[in-house]
Amino acid sequence: MENLPQFVVNWILLGCFYAAIGLGFSLIWGIMNIVNLAQGSLIIIGAYVTYWSYTVLHINPFLGMLVAMVVGFCVGFVLQYVLINRVIRAPFLVTFMLTFGLDLFISNVLQAVFTGGYRAINTSYSSAAINLFGAHIPLLNVAVAILALVLTALLGLFLSRTRLGNAILAIGMDRDAAQLMGIGVAAIYAVTFGIGSALAGAAGGMLAMTLQFSPIFTGQYTLFAFVIVALGGLGTPWAALAGGMLFAFAEVFGPLLPGVGFGLDIAIAFAVLVLVLILRPNGLLGRPFYS
Amino acid sequence: MARETSSDRGLATESARASEPRESRSWLWSLGIGVAILGLIATVPLLGDQSVLSLWTFILMYCVLAQSWNFIGGYAGRPAFGNVAFFGIGAYTVSLLLLAHQSYWLGLALAPIIAGLFAFLLGLPVLRLRGHYFAIATLGVAEALGEIVQSKNIGAPAGEISLTPPDMNFELSNALFFYGFLVLSLLLLLGTVWLTRTRFGYALVAIRENEEAAEALGISTYWYKVGAFVLSAVPTAIAGGLFAYWQLSFDPVGEGGAFDVTISVAMILMTFLGGAGTILGPILGAIIIEYLDQYTSVAFTTIHGPLLGLLIIVVTIFLPQGLIRLVQELVRSPAGVKQSYPVRFKQGVRRVTRFILSNGI
Repeated sequence: MENLPQFVVNWILLGCFYAAIGLGFSLIWGIMNIVNLAQGSLIIIGAYVTYWSYTVLHINPFLGMLVAMVVGFCVGFVLQYVLINRVIRAPFLVTFMLTFGLDLFISNVLQAVFTGGYRAINTSYSSAAINLFGAHIPLLNVAVAILALVLTALLGLFLSRTRLGNAILAIGMDRDAAQLMGIGVAAIYAVTFGIGSALAGAAGGMLAMTLQFSPIFTGQYTLFAFVIVALGGLGTPWAALAGGMLFAFAEVFGPLLPGVGFGLDIAIAFAVLVLVLILRPNGLLGRPFYS
Repeated sequence: MARETSSDRGLATESARASEPRESRSWLWSLGIGVAILGLIATVPLLGDQSVLSLWTFILMYCVLAQSWNFIGGYAGRPAFGNVAFFGIGAYTVSLLLLAHQSYWLGLALAPIIAGLFAFLLGLPVLRLRGHYFAIATLGVAEALGEIVQSKNIGAPAGEISLTPPDMNFELSNALFFYGFLVLSLLLLLGTVWLTRTRFGYALVAIRENEEAAEALGISTYWYKVGAFVLSAVPTAIAGGLFAYWQLSFDPVGEGGAFDVTISVAMILMTFLGGAGTILGPILGAIIIEYLDQYTSVAFTTIHGPLLGLLIIVVTIFLPQGLIRLVQELVRSPAGVKQSYPVRFKQGVRRVTRFILSNGI
């Protein structure tokens, strides 16, 4: 372990990125009880939007991320309003299958249109970095990590301080009571899914800036999002950050254990998940819904 | 957790409405129709066309997988998303023994035992999880197994198995594997009929409808669920063993792999399309979906994936209770009223249309 500072830096940067991956998933799951298996596809759509707005329209990727959030919101709003609202009261395996079908559809269309090739955004400042205590710190990843923290805080403020956010929380607590209070359930559900997709779009933008992406990664990111949210727990945006940090810790330090080695990301993730669920069935920060 | 129970209760009332008094002999009808369908399929090798035989062998394999999933997913109502793990365990048990120059029959006998034990040991912790957590935990186990086989080079580099063909005529061995799957499917049909008429089956349905009430009635729900999980693992592993020696070469993960998650999804989708928790549902669903899947993968290779996605979306929105339920709705006659067949048929069609639309809108 002569390079401990490097591992710590990798862990924190990856943890914040993972928090962004889990954020939208956590909102959709927490409010609507939907495990959105199309989350990975929405993330990859966001990555493509950011990528194309940089390569074709020459928009700065950080602004491109905003474009990706707007596109994500629209896609999510329509999906929820047109499709998922139809089965929202059905047993959850139905929404599970429906979002799986959506994921299969979107990722296959993306593969057919854009091929499965790997892409990444390369800017003039992509490789800017500083060295601190012998650790190599890429500045772009630091910016992404800060953005992830800002998004988490903004989501928390939005839910607790605005009228729309309160309506979303109210529906999450008790759908029927909220409806009796005059909240339009179908529209609010669509907005909630839209926000979740917008956050997926932002995560996609971060992905395009810092790593490579391809339509074949959709399932992997959905799985990551699930593990992150299940680790952290539902009920508050900060739980996604806790889950992301724990998951990144397992990913960065797990392969150092003797006999584990690299290439076992998913196995490590699920080993950690099962351990946490046995010890804390509601996740690290999870609590009975906002009570 | 409170939210979980409220949605579970929603399911319970819905299914309670679905299970209005049926004719007590309906299981005989199901058994007869099932045997007739399998009997018709049994004539496929007589055509002598190898590609048609291969198509129907795949269909029968998926019949077996969907029928097995039906025990845990349809009757016990647990959203098991990782049953492909048992398929992969079966395939790799057989392959490892064949690569070690052991008899195929030994592998085929050991595969269900190992998978059954694995399901028992896995079921003990994961069947305590609820809803989504159970679904993803099982999915994760299947993914992790595939990853371990691949990265630890089990059986072959990257787990990419390649076996020597059985020592017999190619066409004969293909026909034998076809009949192997057929016999397995027939046994599962008989097993399902038996299950629906025993205490065990009633207990599983009670657990699906309302777990707390079942527990209150003195059913030890936990052990029944573990039993259903093992019951669905055993035939799945045998199918995996047959698949391994029939296909000869396969990968651990990715398309066509022995731990490929789309196999899990196919089991669920087929059971859903036919009707989860019914005797004939999985067979019907497997025939329709696998036939369409193979047909489109040949005819429209590029849009094959999106088409499958669309199919899943349409089935889950419009037919979440399955085709069998539609047929029941069609032939149901109002009690105590004598009607001529055209009138009954017309009313049946009206009921079915209303039924589909009420799901979609």
